[in-house]
Amino acid sequence: MNIKEIINTLVSGLISGSLYAIMALGLTIIYGVIHVFNFGHGIVAVLGGYFTWLFLTKLGLGLIPSILLALVFMFFFGLLLFKATINPLLKTPNWEFSTIIFLLGMGILLENLALQAFGPRVKHIPAFFEGSLKIGFVRVNWHEISLIGIVLVFILILNFFLKKTWFGQAMRAVAQDMDGARIVGISITRIFGYAFAMATMVTGFSGILLGTKYYMTPHIGWDWMVKGFVIVVLGGLGSATGAVYAAFIMGIAEALATLYLGSLWVWPIWFLIFVTILLLRPQGLAGGRTL
Amino acid sequence: MMIAAMAHWKKIGIILGLTFIALYPLVHGDTYVMHIFILFFIWAVVASNWNLLMGYAGIFSLGNIGYFAIGAYASGILCKAFGWSPWVCILMGGLASMVCVTLFVGLPALRLSGIYIALLSLIFADSLPTILTQTRSITGGAMGLHDIPPLFEGITRLQSYYINFALFLVMLTIIYRTIHSSTGLAFVALRDSRSFAKALGVNEYKEKIKVFALVSLLTGITGGFYVHYLGDISPTTLAIEPFLLAIAMMEMGGIGRFPGAVLGAVIIVFGNEFLRLAGTLRLALLGALICAIILFFPGGLMQFIDWIDLRLTRLKARRAISS
Repeated sequence: MNIKEIINTLVSGLISGSLYAIMALGLTIIYGVIHVFNFGHGIVAVLGGYFTWLFLTKLGLGLIPSILLALVFMFFFGLLLFKATINPLLKTPNWEFSTIIFLLGMGILLENLALQAFGPRVKHIPAFFEGSLKIGFVRVNWHEISLIGIVLVFILILNFFLKKTWFGQAMRAVAQDMDGARIVGISITRIFGYAFAMATMVTGFSGILLGTKYYMTPHIGWDWMVKGFVIVVLGGLGSATGAVYAAFIMGIAEALATLYLGSLWVWPIWFLIFVTILLLRPQGLAGGRTL
Repeated sequence: MMIAAMAHWKKIGIILGLTFIALYPLVHGDTYVMHIFILFFIWAVVASNWNLLMGYAGIFSLGNIGYFAIGAYASGILCKAFGWSPWVCILMGGLASMVCVTLFVGLPALRLSGIYIALLSLIFADSLPTILTQTRSITGGAMGLHDIPPLFEGITRLQSYYINFALFLVMLTIIYRTIHSSTGLAFVALRDSRSFAKALGVNEYKEKIKVFALVSLLTGITGGFYVHYLGDISPTTLAIEPFLLAIAMMEMGGIGRFPGAVLGAVIIVFGNEFLRLAGTLRLALLGALICAIILFFPGGLMQFIDWIDLRLTRLKARRAISS
């Protein structure tokens, strides 16, 4: 294997890693704050992409306004979903189990409704920038560079939100110690609702970015979701920083596996990595740290 | 007399139901309905096994369709490649499923709990289709395996019906026995209060491995019967639909209740045939059904049956007092 291929692989690994990072963040926020594992994660991401596509082609809005409108939509969709269904379920005795099955059922319902509404054909969201950049033998699309940039900026904004704003701090307080947060007067239900809505928005955004890089069908969400699961477990459930590191590791590992073994071995490799993590370090890279 | 009979209405119902199933082919014997019944026998066993793992042992496994598919594929491949008797192959398929699941899910699961096991088993089942397409020469890839020999030459639908009915009865008896044995009690104790059960001397590792081995063996054997009945199998068995059907069966009947999974299987298998009228909306309806059950009837059908039971008991007590 020559150096050219390896560097190209690393670059493509970084690009997919950045997309996985933002996708895993949506999952991590929900688990970190509410301790619910979102099994409807995939379809939420796909819906974000489909909303953008809808606004772009049917309403004739520009790319940026469509994305912003889709994000607003996703936020309120998440809020509604939480208030109407997850919140009552959290009060039942075995909520851990019922929320998982509920979100699974909800994911399948939404997936098939999306299939009815948009059809099974592949949809694309146009790239942000055309053309490509060539440094030596490495050729990268401007679009992919912009994706890495967008993800990094997004992670910084999210970090600022979580660390510096009142809502972000309240969210972290709930994640770290629910009773303590309640004592100092934080409304748990309200924080849960906004955390869920925000995570839905982040997930929707990841779907939009994935839709620009790859393609969208209503079913693709499952693949994204399972990848997101492995990433959050590698990073340590509920840890945002861990999830970001894990996403880049898995992005590069996937690119290397594709290079050396072929794309069909990618799934078994993901499973093997997953089992290895669970056997060696079930608490993940960040090891039990919260949001 | 009437009241006394009513108190045993559940037993009467079970006996009537089993008699109906046993006599149906002789009385009416429509081949299509018999086919649906055979699917019901198989799915009821799969759902009951899953219920044993998830409801009784409290282990969040989401990969049971994978265990089923391993048994089915192993049996089909052995039978086609070596021409062994299907009966031996079914047993070997069950053992293959047991070995794979215990090795890749059961052993890692010893150190894990809750959500991690759910993710592990889901991803285990999810990576099977790619392995199947990778090993096209043996497993037939995306096209699947075809012309798998039936249980014996010239088998009729009627014979398959009774063979699968026997499978159904034997499997359910094994599951029922397990639930009501000390092993089953240990599962329930671990599910309800892990530390208390361990303090009482329940060996958590041993029980966990036992339940994984038993469930995957039984599910794998059922997979073998399924594949020799239908004659072909493809990776679509591992798609979302069978998974969803099995989950819906357990939820419908009530998780953690032995009769629940069987009741759920009756309703979902027969209901699914009607849902075919809905065409492409079928999966959406199933998803909506699961959501609705969890939101509005968390106990499933068994909750309803318990409610009737309670009413009848109260009625009986009131009669006893007044007389």
